[in-house]
Amino acid sequence: MAMTPVVVDHLVKQYGDLAAVDDVSFEVLDGQLLAVLGPNGAGKTTTLEILEGFSAPTAGTVRVLGTDPHRGDRAWRARIGLVLQSTSLDAELTVADTLGLFAGLYPVPLRVGEVLELVDLIDDAQTRVGALSGGQRRRVDLAIGIVGRPEVLFLDEPTTGLDPEARRRTWAGVEHLTSAGTTVVLTTHYIDEADQLADRVIVLAGGRIVADTTPGELRRRGGPSTIRYRLPDHITGADLPAGLARHLDTKGRSLVIRNTDVAASLRGLISWADRRHLDLAGLEVGPPSLEDAYLTTIGEPLTSEVHSHD
Amino acid sequence: MTDTATTAASAVADATNLVPSTKAVRLPGAGKLLLAQIRYQVRLLISSGRAIAVGAGLPVILLVASKGKDTRPDVAGYAVFGLTITAWSTYGVRLVAAREDGVLKRWRATPLPRWCYFLGRILATALVAVLAGAVTVAAALVFYGSHFGDGPDTQLTVTAALAIVAVLLVGAFAWAATATALTSAIPTVEAAFPTLIFIYFPVIIVSGVLFTNLSEPHWLSTLATYLPAQPLIDAVTHAVRHTSGAPFLPVRDVIVLACWAAGGLLGAIVLFRWEPHRSTQRRAARIQQ
Repeated sequence: MAMTPVVVDHLVKQYGDLAAVDDVSFEVLDGQLLAVLGPNGAGKTTTLEILEGFSAPTAGTVRVLGTDPHRGDRAWRARIGLVLQSTSLDAELTVADTLGLFAGLYPVPLRVGEVLELVDLIDDAQTRVGALSGGQRRRVDLAIGIVGRPEVLFLDEPTTGLDPEARRRTWAGVEHLTSAGTTVVLTTHYIDEADQLADRVIVLAGGRIVADTTPGELRRRGGPSTIRYRLPDHITGADLPAGLARHLDTKGRSLVIRNTDVAASLRGLISWADRRHLDLAGLEVGPPSLEDAYLTTIGEPLTSEVHSHD
Repeated sequence: MTDTATTAASAVADATNLVPSTKAVRLPGAGKLLLAQIRYQVRLLISSGRAIAVGAGLPVILLVASKGKDTRPDVAGYAVFGLTITAWSTYGVRLVAAREDGVLKRWRATPLPRWCYFLGRILATALVAVLAGAVTVAAALVFYGSHFGDGPDTQLTVTAALAIVAVLLVGAFAWAATATALTSAIPTVEAAFPTLIFIYFPVIIVSGVLFTNLSEPHWLSTLATYLPAQPLIDAVTHAVRHTSGAPFLPVRDVIVLACWAAGGLLGAIVLFRWEPHRSTQRRAARIQQ
């Protein structure tokens, strides 16, 4: 039977009296991409750093490729790849030289040219790392993470601070890794990143798992579908009938209606708009967003603004 | 599918398999990795330019400034000045910066043996520091000919030059290894230079690297013979003034330097810190929020 690449069993990590990770258990199956979501201080990076072997658990058991990461030897480190939370590269060398140096550490590395194509940096091969943009440097980080053909790849907020274009390029690289069978554990602040990439999502809050599910299932937990309508400039809350006024957002400019009976809500809205001769351009009807579901799960109030997902 | 994705997809197809087979594979040998690491670190030092600019530039300026004066310059002192400032402060500041930027942490996660990384870094620094010292000696040859120092017996022969290179290597290693151990206690890049210089200048001043202080108390001049600067100057001077039949290098001085090298390396092995101080502090702050 194939070994489960990542096994975490009742993991606890204490810093003094404070539990950064408190009785966390999960597994990541072969070829799966697990996204770990959670607010700052939820324990995401602490968990990842234990999986990467940087720190030891206070209690519980962790196994990556059958090995305790804190005791992982060279052979074990050759089988994992990682991208740290912040870029960590010497600036003086070129991209190709940097990758060549790291490739030389592994028994069966990918060719430098292959990796550069994979992360879309082939045109920057001879550019000094220090001259790259933030997004390009993150892709060099990713290239170094995968150059050794890792069986398990850890990505700690790989797209934080990147512009939408750079994020999507990074996503493309990660998607091709998972399609080739690499097991990936990803921490992220971006709900849409988890939605795009993950087979499974874990939500951490206060060091504990508050959800362990698929993106689709997590979305369903977000509650009913939502109708959003931005009021024309000349309409105020006072112009709305009582049934609609209670759905006004905090700024008083949009209606946000969460209701299981979407058809009835729409009929009411359209009928009112028809009487006032209002244009309904911009009316949105959508499923519960993953962000709403995430906020519900970690116990935060839902935002009433229309959520943007670049 | 976008062009980017298409290109990436073909790259994946070309790469026979991103995930290696599970059968045993042989890791690259440590010797090969150490050599690659030394080469890499030397390239970093040379390409940044600062190491050579400080390590060779300052002593050469001092040499030029002393030309035309009645007394001949202390070439050994200037060469040791260039070497030690490279192996101590330039190296130490770069090491702290690499640690706080997460560069060391990234290397720690690779299959590179950990000793290979910092030994490669120390050896590369020693080589560049010796190069800085050699540039100073070469400049002295240009300015003063092969007879420099304070007498007619101070002629630089090939054998003496080799002996000088050897002892400079040991000395540079001793300074860099000791700096490695010390940097573990320096929490930020901003604190690195003042901390290192605060230790460095008293040592080189009592050791007579830049000038000889004849009014120094006896206990201080005795202490200086146990620090890693004066034995280095003495050894270089001894090699320059070598007379036939005598050893090229003074044994006691070489032993002192070797002890500093071994002690520094031991301290580095025990105290070496891979993780940035800032990440530990930041994590604790996040949890307490």
